[in-house]
Amino acid sequence: MIQREEYFDPIEKEEQNSEFIAIERKSFVRDVWERFKSNRRALTGLIVLGIIMIITLLGPILSPYSYDGMGTSINSKVSLTHWFGTDALGRDLFIRVLYGIRISLTIGFVTTLINIVLGILYGGIAGYVGGKTDMAMMRIVDVMYAVPSLLYIILLMLIFGSNIGSIMLGMCVSGWIGVARLMRSQVITLKEREFALAAYTQGAGAGRILFRHLFTNAMGPIVVSATLAVPQAIFMEAFLSFIGMGISAPQASLGTLAQSARMYMSIYPNQMICPIAMICLIIFALNFIGEGLDEALNPKGSR
Amino acid sequence: MEKEKPVVSVRHLKKYFVANRHVFGATDYVKAIDDVSFDIMPGETVGLVGESGCGKSTLARTIIRIYEPGEGEIIYKNTDIAHLSNRKMRAYRNKMQMIFQDPYASLNPRLTVAEIIAEPMEIYNMYTKKEREEKVQELLEQVGLKPDHITRYPHEFSGGQRQRIGIARTLALDPDFIICDEPISALDVSIQAQIINLLEKIQDEKKLSYLFIAHDLTMVRHISHKIGVMYLGHLVEFGEAEEVYKNPLHPYTQALISAAPVADPVLSRTQERIKLEGEVPSPIHTPSGCPFSPRCPECRPECRIDPPVVANVNGHKVACYKYV
Amino acid sequence: MPLLEIKNLSVQFQTRHGIVNAVRDVNFSLEKGELLGIVGESGSGKSVGMLAVMGLLAGNGRITEGEIWFNGRNISPVAEEFKNDPKGYDRYMKQIRGKDLSMIFQDPMTYLNPVLKIGTQITEGIIKHEKCSKQEAKKRAIALMQQVGIPSAEERFSQYPFEFSGGMRQRIVIAIALSCNPKLIIADEPTTALDVTVQAQIIDLLKAIVKEQDTSIIMITHDLGVVAKMCNSVNIMYAGKVVEHGTIDDIFYRPQHPYTKGLLNSVKTHDSTKRQSLSSIPGTPPDLLKLNTGCAFMPRCREAMKICKDYLPEAASFGEEQYASCWHYCKEHADRIVSKQSERMMSEEVS
Repeated sequence: MIQREEYFDPIEKEEQNSEFIAIERKSFVRDVWERFKSNRRALTGLIVLGIIMIITLLGPILSPYSYDGMGTSINSKVSLTHWFGTDALGRDLFIRVLYGIRISLTIGFVTTLINIVLGILYGGIAGYVGGKTDMAMMRIVDVMYAVPSLLYIILLMLIFGSNIGSIMLGMCVSGWIGVARLMRSQVITLKEREFALAAYTQGAGAGRILFRHLFTNAMGPIVVSATLAVPQAIFMEAFLSFIGMGISAPQASLGTLAQSARMYMSIYPNQMICPIAMICLIIFALNFIGEGLDEALNPKGSR
Repeated sequence: MEKEKPVVSVRHLKKYFVANRHVFGATDYVKAIDDVSFDIMPGETVGLVGESGCGKSTLARTIIRIYEPGEGEIIYKNTDIAHLSNRKMRAYRNKMQMIFQDPYASLNPRLTVAEIIAEPMEIYNMYTKKEREEKVQELLEQVGLKPDHITRYPHEFSGGQRQRIGIARTLALDPDFIICDEPISALDVSIQAQIINLLEKIQDEKKLSYLFIAHDLTMVRHISHKIGVMYLGHLVEFGEAEEVYKNPLHPYTQALISAAPVADPVLSRTQERIKLEGEVPSPIHTPSGCPFSPRCPECRPECRIDPPVVANVNGHKVACYKYV
Repeated sequence: MPLLEIKNLSVQFQTRHGIVNAVRDVNFSLEKGELLGIVGESGSGKSVGMLAVMGLLAGNGRITEGEIWFNGRNISPVAEEFKNDPKGYDRYMKQIRGKDLSMIFQDPMTYLNPVLKIGTQITEGIIKHEKCSKQEAKKRAIALMQQVGIPSAEERFSQYPFEFSGGMRQRIVIAIALSCNPKLIIADEPTTALDVTVQAQIIDLLKAIVKEQDTSIIMITHDLGVVAKMCNSVNIMYAGKVVEHGTIDDIFYRPQHPYTKGLLNSVKTHDSTKRQSLSSIPGTPPDLLKLNTGCAFMPRCREAMKICKDYLPEAASFGEEQYASCWHYCKEHADRIVSKQSERMMSEEVS
């Protein structure tokens, strides 16, 4: 506190500090993370997904059973020795579900990753170059998109057999188109923004503008749509397996597990419920994460 | 003394945008810039004023080759850069820089201040990494920001501070010509003067040339040595700043100056305003003859037929039939 | 009795970064037929204060205290009458908004509905508030359009907003504001988005309206030139407070507060042949999240004293109408002010 006699002395320059910045220093990533953290549903989704992933990684190593090892107890109920019971061939369901989750998550994440990379490159180039190139590139995409993706998957399975590879490949044939369209529209609006023009007038090349300036700012909606694409891919695979077009035995995805349990549904409901519950859990978790990211990346009224 | 050569001269520059392509035959054009010529001398500021849609920002963006120029020449020192390929243009980009209007849109929100200012030097492979860091510090100091601001992100700054970061970025390449596209119109009044002072200080130190664009005549008058007035893509008047302000020749300039509000109650009570009818017409359907003729209080029959030639009244150029 | 009297108005916003006191203890009054300018920079609270009067604050903002006496009634949501009756407050505000109290915004395009005909938008208010027939409303709307200077009003009555130019749109917004003969029009930067020549036309129009009708206007602007041209008196706002008030002659020729002086100096024009730097106010506008307890202008003030940092000055009068809040003019009351504020701070700390 100041003394009475110095009330009217001129103030020191340091005390004034007129270029003072009040907001706390924060990078974009940290800012997003903090907003994400404060969203309880999103955080729950992330934790649930994390736990599932850890269990699927460690479970098979620690478990006494293997996914194709048949045992003597057939169609056993849920018990301490077999947490999810066993199937008609005496295989431990818990371990099979874990392997199923592995396959589902791999398909989900790998296809999404490939789709993002392809989509960003294609859409980025089309949007940035513009004009006739853009026109031609987007018409090609329209044609590819006109064929249902199910058809691509079936065709590829005929050629390469029914395994994870051909399912993933099939999902990638036209899966990246959504990302490409999103990236293109983002690039088209962002490239007219003044910071992109500024980089251009500084002599920056197309690559630098596209990746350092446009992509970093377009990332938000793309990341969101990608996180929401993962559960879609998982669901697609489960659906394919369920109608009998998925992974072949003895491997099993969550969809094939549910498919083979269909016959005993009324007698041994645990065989059906366990894999389906896992699908639901994973899809819920991923959707919550996607929603949370959406809110964190596109806050309504940031200040 | 030897006569100085202009840094930039613009000769009969045109820029038309396609507005509407009819299925058969004709195409409608927006004549954003129509036959504009002027010179900018070393160490000089040319102010460009006009209302929205007059083509002043398009002119700026065409000179710096964001837009492809149409007919005409843009001569930088001795080279016509109007139609250089992008690759050849690169050799001139570092000499011409631009400060943008919106300090919120002109800085990439994902980069730190240090990254923003260092980027042009990175592009041109200037200095080592360490030297670049030093240069960034130096530039920040020059524009009145603190060294500890470099790790901050643009959104943490106020508008005036951001504009100063933008200025530091343009200075990184040591240009000799900077286009200022309405750099102060988005800022608060008390901050505008700061930016103008900063720009003048830098000009005095580095002998830079500015093309300063604004819609507000009073600030332009202060910073500029010469003023150009644009209307519907045409440069209707060009001359020494004080001359244009105190003794405007073109009826449009006269109306513009008389309409500008003065921060002085007594003056503005006595101020005689030249009343203009209507608003700026659409640049697609420009009037034949003088672009200003439909609103001009002194319009004559010949004004509506052919566009006026530029008359030179004691070095003060004006495109109006009154002076032919 | 003044038309509008505001006492101790404070407005608070809840943001992610903390509480922002956008308007802090504002007092002023407005007589019938007066043209009051409110001048301030971004974040000075000039718009927020008026939105609060209109009852149009955004969801995260609220009036924490204060009285707003309009036309003899306290229309503050924290007034006795409305304190426990937010629905009643909304109902009452809906009744007077657009009738006795109307507003003109900066960007006419966000105010006008792009898919409705101009005529529909003008008559809407008339039909709602005056309870007259469609025919009658149309007649009045066309008269209004003529009054605000829209040529061939009858034809343009059934056109859409996009068929009008920027200046014409603003005229339509003014016509809507005028439609029910309001007692007070609040104009929030109505000319900022317009070109200079059009701006002059709109200013003339607003001045004519005040002269012809029994209306008062509060003009929110950052442009001192606009104020000089059309207002009778001015409030200068800084960081949510009215730092100086006076008639335009007081403010422009006898400014007292260092901020007002700085503001006027920075728009003073100089001859460009004599190159001299403009006098500017150093530093940046205040961050309302982190204000010191004292005068908010202290960090940028050239005449700042030690006391300015911790204690708020009180308003000192100059002549009939003018007053300014600066420590330079209330030095003799320093002991009383300091002890009062310390007491309050102590009691706040305790609670």
